[in-house]
Amino acid sequence: MSSSVILLGMFLSLVALMLTGAPLAFVLGAIAFLTTIIAWGPSALIVSVLNTFETMTSEALMAIPLYIFMASILQKSSIIEDLYNAMETWFSRVNGGLAIGTIIICTIMAAMTGVVGAAVAAMGILALPSMLARRYNTELAVGSICAGGTLGILIPPSVVTIVYAITAQISIGQMFVACIVPGLVLATVYCLYIILRVGLNGDLAPKPEHSRTIPLSEKLLSLKALVLPFLVIISVLGSIYLGLATPTEAAAVGVFGAFLSVLFSGRFKFSILSDAASDTLRVTAMILWITIGARAFISVFVATGGPDSILGFVENLDAAPIVILLTMLLILVFLGLFLDEIGIILLCVPVFLPIVKALGYEPLWFGVLFMITAQMAYITPPFGYTLFYLKGVLPKGISIGTVYRGVIPFFALQILVLGLFLIFPDLVTWLPEQIRDVR
Amino acid sequence: AQKKVEWRMQALWGGGTTPMTYEKAFCDRVRELTGGTFDIKAFSGGSIVPNAQAFDAVRGGAFQLMKTYDGYTAGKIPAHGFTSSVPFGFPQADQYESWFYERGGLDLARKSYAPAGLTYIAPTVYGEEPIHSKVAIRSISDMKGLKGRFVGLASAVMADLGVAVSPLPTSEVYSALDKGLIDFADRGDIKANYEAGLHEVAKYLILPGVHQPTTATAYVANTAAYKSLSDQHRAALEVAAREVSGALRQNIMVSNAEYVGKFVEAGVEIVNLDPQDVADNRANAVSSWEKAAKSDGLATEILGSQRELMQDYRLL
Amino acid sequence: MLSIAFAVTALNRTLFRLVKWLVVLFALLMLYEVAARYSFASPTSWAPELATLLFGPFFLLGGPYLLHTGGHVSVDLLSARASGLAAKALKVIAIILAIVFGVILLWFAFPLAEQSFQYRETSYTSWNPPVWPAKLVLPVSALLLVLQGFAELLFVLHEEVTSQ
Ligand code: NA
Ligand code: NA
Repeated sequence: MSSSVILLGMFLSLVALMLTGAPLAFVLGAIAFLTTIIAWGPSALIVSVLNTFETMTSEALMAIPLYIFMASILQKSSIIEDLYNAMETWFSRVNGGLAIGTIIICTIMAAMTGVVGAAVAAMGILALPSMLARRYNTELAVGSICAGGTLGILIPPSVVTIVYAITAQISIGQMFVACIVPGLVLATVYCLYIILRVGLNGDLAPKPEHSRTIPLSEKLLSLKALVLPFLVIISVLGSIYLGLATPTEAAAVGVFGAFLSVLFSGRFKFSILSDAASDTLRVTAMILWITIGARAFISVFVATGGPDSILGFVENLDAAPIVILLTMLLILVFLGLFLDEIGIILLCVPVFLPIVKALGYEPLWFGVLFMITAQMAYITPPFGYTLFYLKGVLPKGISIGTVYRGVIPFFALQILVLGLFLIFPDLVTWLPEQIRDVR
Repeated sequence: AQKKVEWRMQALWGGGTTPMTYEKAFCDRVRELTGGTFDIKAFSGGSIVPNAQAFDAVRGGAFQLMKTYDGYTAGKIPAHGFTSSVPFGFPQADQYESWFYERGGLDLARKSYAPAGLTYIAPTVYGEEPIHSKVAIRSISDMKGLKGRFVGLASAVMADLGVAVSPLPTSEVYSALDKGLIDFADRGDIKANYEAGLHEVAKYLILPGVHQPTTATAYVANTAAYKSLSDQHRAALEVAAREVSGALRQNIMVSNAEYVGKFVEAGVEIVNLDPQDVADNRANAVSSWEKAAKSDGLATEILGSQRELMQDYRLL
Repeated sequence: MLSIAFAVTALNRTLFRLVKWLVVLFALLMLYEVAARYSFASPTSWAPELATLLFGPFFLLGGPYLLHTGGHVSVDLLSARASGLAAKALKVIAIILAIVFGVILLWFAFPLAEQSFQYRETSYTSWNPPVWPAKLVLPVSALLLVLQGFAELLFVLHEEVTSQ
């Protein structure tokens, strides 16, 4: 069977079965199994199981339960609610202050982990209830978390960046540094967008009822609420950047920090721990069963030659360099519809990079464009893993449609930023060059 | 006329890397030797199943052929600890390869795979992988008490030397060295490590890489699929495999030399360990090897045959 | 029949409530490793490895109960609007997909776990623990998923009987 037929078949059946409302994990798995039997033979089904064995012992993915546990402990002990109260006091004059605060926390979270599932689920648990309680527009709140949560791919540490660097045979450190600027630019653009959007329509993020001016003394007092979350953040970041812990171990430090915070705040109850553990298993199992299905899907997709036809198309494309470059980025967005970012890298980088070099482009710069596109793939409806992870922690009654609508403006912003770095490559290469000179 | 055979093979390396081009060359050579009647499609490492799981995938018939590193399955088959890479073992790739072809190593490797329904075709043998360090290591005894990253049999042997071993994932090696989580580490070959930027985070390159002085990877086929091949097709596999082994070894030898130069340019100090120091520690490593053989019959037989050859070469 | 369905659900609920505490163990093991490496300059050979070995059993055994609570995420664009027979049909399709997934997983995972046991497979690290028990959890979880799937099928059908 030709690879284009397989590609089309897998794509159509994914959309069709997804719309039946069946759990995504089983939709992905079932399509993988059926495609295997039809295009490859039943003996190949073993591949799915073997991929699961590998997922079961992934050191990087262990960050998922740990960060969710940390977030859940902090949320259930109202420490986060206090933090949002403090933000409300300080940012009461800023349009959409809490959404901006959420983007800032997401950016800090991105410096703690590169595992998107961990960041998005943790932020969904931390930030969403506080924003919804203050009648923030659901779509805006959800969009901020999805977009902010995927920043972890760009801002180091990031396993995806490492995989790109290794596959592209460029320095891991250079790649880390090169991705910082776009990560921060994206975070800034998200904040500006929120200010602008809420400025135009105040109902999206209602300001606190009491419009009185809060005295400075009261404002300063509210800073007390920052102390505990701040100490947790310091302990996690400190243990990573002082070389005490791997990113996954740092997540355990975060759990410990959260636990101590609850003890010090005098709000410890056994039920907090027990409920947080329940939340953690519920969300982790949801994410990892999707991962099982997704890995099966990806390996079948690759082994049956699914992407061969589009990749071959680029290789033989005879057009202006910029057209070829844009085509490659478009293909990345398209493949991102169903592949996870590691799958995309392993598949596309070996094909694209020789082309990029032949066209005279800088692999480091292309890497950054690649990473921006990879994190776009995470939030593109209808099939973006981030959207599903967040849906898993949403209160019942908020449909995936709300999530889809929520991320679209942020997706547009990402396209904008991608364009920016496409037009001004110096923005990417400047920082690594400074650091290279220092070394 | 030959009936046309189509196989899939998953190799060990990423698409676009130099070793992967040699796997494609292997497939081309097989095609050429069989007049185009034997077509093997090469997939890059991990693209169908993770490398460590390829054994079970070929065993189950998901694809017919794999390029594997026996170390991945040493937890199942203790013999594979010795058919992949022996810490402090043969210092020259040719010496290790001679064990396979002249001292019955090939038959012993085949024996290790046969009960699983797999057929060992031939090894690809090449030289050392380096050690990268943040602190000056002038002799092997300097490693004692340092925090090091090693995996597999090397982690046990280095631990026996007094190294505090952390089995970190490969993806964490750069950051772990950068931030000082560990003092020294093994990762990949010299060229790959330079490309990953290890010269930026570790100022000492220790040679020879005693934890992995020589390496054997292997072509292994599903026995049922192998049995259905014609004699010509089987011969083509063996011929192409032995050609690739020599070609890749020489390629790695040259690129090791080139990239050591690049490390020097980047301000990395190359430390050459004293051969006598290495030899002394080889003698000490014997007890670690014996421990790893786990009183397993085949592993013990392989270890015995390798020790005999090492003695003949005056290495022990 | 329905009592069997309740028993299966109770079993999966109990497993969920037990394995959820593993996350505390993960945190403790990782913290111990950080302390051992930093304070005593002697990283353990076992703490991080034990954590990763238990990670699979953690999320796998938590999965079957989620089928009962609706914890597996889905795209509810159409199914949220469906009612009556259509809604029921969609529910049944979802359960059947879960059962198909579980059966195939079970069918292929069991021999692999069995072979791992026959080899007494270990991890081949300096700690070198047996890994077959962790692998055995995969077919066990798949079986539990299939059983929960049939239980859910019974619940849906029973609902239909009582509503008519
Ligand atoms: Na990150
Ligand atoms: Na997507």
